[in-house]
Amino acid sequence: MADYKLIGHNYQTPDIVAKVTGRAKYAEDYRADGMLFVKLLLSPMPHARVRNIDASEALKMPGVHAILTADDVPVVGPPARGAAAAEEEGPGRGRGAAAAPPKPNIKPELGLTNEPVYQGEPILAVAAIDELTAAEAIEKIVLDLEPLPFCVDPLQSLRPGGSNARVEGNVFVGPEVKTIKWTDEDWKEVEAGRLPLRDAPDNWNVGDVEAGFKDAALIVDETLVHQSTSHQTLESRSCMAYWQNGKLYLHGSAQSLAHVSQSCGNWAGVDKANVVLVSEYCGGGFGGKNPETAMHMSIPALLSKKTGRPVMMRISREEDHSIGRARPGMVMRAKIGFRKDGRITAMDLFIVQDGGPFTRAGDYAQIATVASANYTPLNMRFRGTAVLTNTPPRGPQRGPGGEQSMTLLEPLISKAARQLGIDQIEIRKINAPITGSAFGPPNARGNRAQLTGAFAREALDKGAALFKWDERKQRSGVRRGTKVTGLGVGLSNFSAGTIGFDGLLTIRPDGKLYIQQGVGNLGTLSVFDTARVAAETLDMPWEKCEVTWGSSGKNVPWSSRQGGSQTAHANSRANLAAGLDAKRKLQEIAAKDLGGSPDDYDVAKERVFRKGNPGRGLTFAQAAKRAIELGGKYDGHELPKDINSMTAISATGLAGLGLMGVAKDNYPRRGTTQAFVAGFAEVEVDVETGAYRILDYLAVADVGTVLNPRGLEGQLHGGAIMGFGHTRSQHWVYDQQYGVPLAKRFHYNKPMTILDIPTVTPMQWAAVDIPDPQTPVGVKGVAEAAVGAGSAALRCALAAAIGDDLIRRTPVTPAMILESLEAGKRVDRGLTSHV
Amino acid sequence: MAVIHDVMPAFELFQPTSVDDALALLDRYRSEAWVMAGGLDSFDWLKDRIKRPKVVVDLSQVKQLRGVRAAGDGLEIGATTTLTEVVSHPLVREKYGILMEAAEAAASPQIRNQGTIGGNVSQDTRCWYYRSGWTCYRAGGNICYADTPTAVNREHAIFGADRCVAVNPSDSAPALIALDAKMVVRSSRGELVMDAEDYFIGPGTDITRMTVLQPGSLLTAIRLPATWAGAQFYFEKVRDRQVWDFPLVNVASAIVFSGDRIERARLAVNGVAAHPMRLRKVEDAVRGKPRNEATANLAGELAIEGAQPLQHNGYKIPLMRNLVKRAIRGGDGTWTS
Amino acid sequence: MDFLTWGRNPWQQQILTHVSWNLLWASLFAGIVFLVAHASYMVLSAHRKRTAAETDAMEAARTDLPDRIPRHSLAARMFHWVMAASMFTLLFTAFLPVVGIQFAWVTWHWMAGLVLTAAILFHIVHATFWMDFWSIWVGPSDIPEFKAEILRELGHEVAGPKPGKYPLGNRLYHLAIVFAGLTAVGTGVFMMSRVRTPFFTRDPYLFSDITWGFTYVMHGLAGVSLVGLVIAHVYFAVRPDKWWITKSMLLGWVTRRQYLQYHDPHRWVVGSKPGERARRA
Repeated sequence: MADYKLIGHNYQTPDIVAKVTGRAKYAEDYRADGMLFVKLLLSPMPHARVRNIDASEALKMPGVHAILTADDVPVVGPPARGAAAAEEEGPGRGRGAAAAPPKPNIKPELGLTNEPVYQGEPILAVAAIDELTAAEAIEKIVLDLEPLPFCVDPLQSLRPGGSNARVEGNVFVGPEVKTIKWTDEDWKEVEAGRLPLRDAPDNWNVGDVEAGFKDAALIVDETLVHQSTSHQTLESRSCMAYWQNGKLYLHGSAQSLAHVSQSCGNWAGVDKANVVLVSEYCGGGFGGKNPETAMHMSIPALLSKKTGRPVMMRISREEDHSIGRARPGMVMRAKIGFRKDGRITAMDLFIVQDGGPFTRAGDYAQIATVASANYTPLNMRFRGTAVLTNTPPRGPQRGPGGEQSMTLLEPLISKAARQLGIDQIEIRKINAPITGSAFGPPNARGNRAQLTGAFAREALDKGAALFKWDERKQRSGVRRGTKVTGLGVGLSNFSAGTIGFDGLLTIRPDGKLYIQQGVGNLGTLSVFDTARVAAETLDMPWEKCEVTWGSSGKNVPWSSRQGGSQTAHANSRANLAAGLDAKRKLQEIAAKDLGGSPDDYDVAKERVFRKGNPGRGLTFAQAAKRAIELGGKYDGHELPKDINSMTAISATGLAGLGLMGVAKDNYPRRGTTQAFVAGFAEVEVDVETGAYRILDYLAVADVGTVLNPRGLEGQLHGGAIMGFGHTRSQHWVYDQQYGVPLAKRFHYNKPMTILDIPTVTPMQWAAVDIPDPQTPVGVKGVAEAAVGAGSAALRCALAAAIGDDLIRRTPVTPAMILESLEAGKRVDRGLTSHV
Repeated sequence: MAVIHDVMPAFELFQPTSVDDALALLDRYRSEAWVMAGGLDSFDWLKDRIKRPKVVVDLSQVKQLRGVRAAGDGLEIGATTTLTEVVSHPLVREKYGILMEAAEAAASPQIRNQGTIGGNVSQDTRCWYYRSGWTCYRAGGNICYADTPTAVNREHAIFGADRCVAVNPSDSAPALIALDAKMVVRSSRGELVMDAEDYFIGPGTDITRMTVLQPGSLLTAIRLPATWAGAQFYFEKVRDRQVWDFPLVNVASAIVFSGDRIERARLAVNGVAAHPMRLRKVEDAVRGKPRNEATANLAGELAIEGAQPLQHNGYKIPLMRNLVKRAIRGGDGTWTS
Repeated sequence: MDFLTWGRNPWQQQILTHVSWNLLWASLFAGIVFLVAHASYMVLSAHRKRTAAETDAMEAARTDLPDRIPRHSLAARMFHWVMAASMFTLLFTAFLPVVGIQFAWVTWHWMAGLVLTAAILFHIVHATFWMDFWSIWVGPSDIPEFKAEILRELGHEVAGPKPGKYPLGNRLYHLAIVFAGLTAVGTGVFMMSRVRTPFFTRDPYLFSDITWGFTYVMHGLAGVSLVGLVIAHVYFAVRPDKWWITKSMLLGWVTRRQYLQYHDPHRWVVGSKPGERARRA
């Protein structure tokens, strides 16, 4: 490993003091003179048509300034997605849709609607002098709705005679929504608790699964249910808007700055050039605050335009449950064949996904891709049905598809290991990929993606040693009093990096390095971590670095989205490129002024100096002044041709301020980058109550070079805790008679809290720390793979404690455990989504 | 009229400094007044605009309602004493450990710092249908949305369903019943002291309330007699997550032994009916019996006689049986922690 | 005063939930006002009755009649008292909680409701096949009697028709009870699907919210009407001048003298053939 001064070292991020002292300004903390407040009227029905809105009484109220309805909202499609956005989501994600141009025949999601397709979809907004007035105005509005057929459970939609979530149909077939109903025979299987293995609109195949099953010594065949989970970010998607000189200023909660700034004007009908997005702090995004989901920012934007005043829209917890995105739930039948040594000969996945009312959501496809990377089955088939339901819009959530894949499949691997008499670590190692392994769906030419680097086996070995696996496994499944112990391991992977973004920085006459970051500040620290790569490249002490972030008006470059765990990878590369560009310019300036060729000069300790003669050189401050004098490419007046237009605009804004480093990441990469995390958990289950506790947890990450140990710890443990919530307690419950949500509040939907984490020892972590061979610096992302590791390890530990066959759905509640233990067999409520 | 949540409607706020002033206000405004202690239950209702009182009487400034004091040979706990104060009080910890455990099992540290013991016992049910603001029986309507062929009712009642199947969510209530606590209820007509178990009412008696409190009346204090001080206690709460979660079922017991035999026992369970259930039959059955597995089994089986599950809450029957069993037998195998 | 109470269903639609319980007070009030008014009137008015001499003469002329004229069969009496008991149970269980006396009333209420339903079914069958079905009904042919009775009430001597087996007021009352009772029972049977009973799985979604609202309102209206009707009924049953009717409901017969004094022997023919009870014009 290289001898880094900044990379791999703990440090204090520049935003931390503001965060812990409460001085950090989140979207709803902003105030402006004459600001109005918005409240929303949400649809009470899961599917309806607005027949009439009578707002006359509301508009008569003193203090009420305007009402905005769907008729005021421009009808636009989703923002154009760059190639990077598709790549971020990895091969296989939304592959069916990617094949054809995404022109669905259903109305897309907008800020407001006249045909609400889920309970809670905003129908209109009122702007008033305060929220109380706005709320009282909404109560005076008479809304006439015509109820339409609805469905909140994907299987119920496929049932013969079941209702469709949309007038146009219930399932995505290619880019279009069509109607698919299963046969009575199929439905009989569903009622017997098993998905039928029938044809599905989306599928891919590698090898011959039937032949693979013939070679298998053991076949595991189970139907499993994963609940949907809402994102429940602590900061809701509040937004404040105002207009100045024809420009729209939005103070919002965005997990990505550069990308969201390009899209958020879309739904208000404003060109991206005329939008400034301010989002210095994002109180959690988890995939839900990316460019595709900024449509509700159009509400304050349009109301501000209408009233000529700044407008604040604070989104409540209940509203955020509706518009704040959710992970798609699914029902999956998984049939897996194993050789005697545990190697998987065939894997056949049949998945029905609940994608909400608007989009395909790629999780179901990603399940198969992630499974193929985790287990490299010799033969594999995926069949998926993306069903629409009248429940809140789905979107990627931290490890989209990856979390579900590992939570549902890892327990089957554990079960097979037990039946074959193989150690849990060994069965995962024998199936784990290595660098260069092919995975995911084959493309049109029959080729599959290859892993840039894969050190899952190393992670498993390191974890087994650290967790004292062999010692602990002696007590797994052993009962002591009313408690039984369970030991589980879960291997998980997810996409971990994209390429091709820009770095932008300046060294100014004050001798400081100013690093521009278009990365969002969503709590992962990557906005600062990746800036340190530029500083490292220039040997700049961190104290002399200023990171500029948080507003698209602050001349930030085209950075990667914060999704798909790509930031650490993509922006370490981009900042390396910018850093090296600056370094080269320093060398050139030195050569110009002091003679010799640029290569004769080196950069260190805030100076550029002659190799072998450190006294002969320039300080960065001097070089910066010279760069301004020289102009041209040195101070940003001439820019590389290959950078993104957003970077070019920003760089132009900074031109003349100092020596500019600006470059696109053109480093080669062969293959697709995935990170691996092995999670190890020990649980204790009380067989008299079904209650259980997580005693201990360890995550070991194959994350390439470690950028920031403390940040990595946060990601590995934070991700695991989120995963624990998925396995353990997070609820997504709808009343099927009325199609309305029941688990809307935190004490009903029960995400994990900090007091739910393992208590015996603090959660532990480690990294394999092998640089990824296909990226300079060697950094990979990890935030998402960490989730599946936590949920799968816990789920497997539970199976080890109480048996492999008692549970087949998430969340695994004490109720479910006790009821099944009591009956001596699995007791659940069939394959419904809502229990 | 369109419906909106999450914006607290306007009301007139009173912050009396004495019980008499508070009662005078409650008397003046009767059903138009809302009594607020810690606000944890109140603010939910108010913010959702479901309860729309004209007047809120905030008890936080009434000093005489707050604090734990010795009373005779027992203790008196003011109704607005916070759960944290109850948990940390040395006399509670020394003599009434079960109340300490129960109060500490409630909600989260932040909520316990703000939530009061009076509020904890007087809080409304958390039935997610009722709390959605729909007109169910408990809200004055004519339907129970939680007991239908498609309802999701994992956290609902197995006993005493009289139209409504909501459960009482209090953790401290069963402990208070096990300690034979007395509830002091005052109104302008005077003071009424009642057994803790009589403080709670089921839907049969009044489907819209969970306690005897009527407009104009106030729970002012809870008295713990010496009768059960220092007895053998057991409290356990089972929930989905370790914090900020209401009980699926909880149990509290106090047992006094004579030699190796149970001289007397008091038990209560919550989370299974609209009111915490005192298990008199179990108390009678175990009297004079040795504390062993057989007695515990007998207690468990007796406890669940007559339980009727809904579609999703069948697990509560074995859970209650096993918790009652443990409440007699004592814990077996603590958590590794 | 609101006559109806409204609520919201999960779709936030306005739904009918009940009649306003103000109507209970209205019905009680109406019942009591009627009672007081009638009692005052009876004290003050010149209600025309058959004189003792007239009755003596008739009794002398009809010595063929037995001393005791059967008026209500055992079955009919049993029905009446079972119905009365269940009706009181129903009304008390329904309305005591409304007025503030709280207890677990639902099970008692529906059980009494089932008893009443069974009793009514029995009564319909019994009255259809074994009783003088039409003797209790009111029709256009009762107009002369109505006129005559009104005139009598006003103190006039009228030759016109006298009551048959059941006085017109009695029959009008029966008609009201039939409507209110059948409404209450008809709605009540379906309302049982909203509560827990041993008979079937509780299913509050048997009807739409709108239908249910209507059902509850009808049940409530019938219920509060019955309060007034029952007050009136009890009032007449305990009035000394009507005591002979109450007694007949206990014992099953009236005396010959009562028969002749209060009835029109042509309209309630008591002959040697017990089966001959045809209603005559």
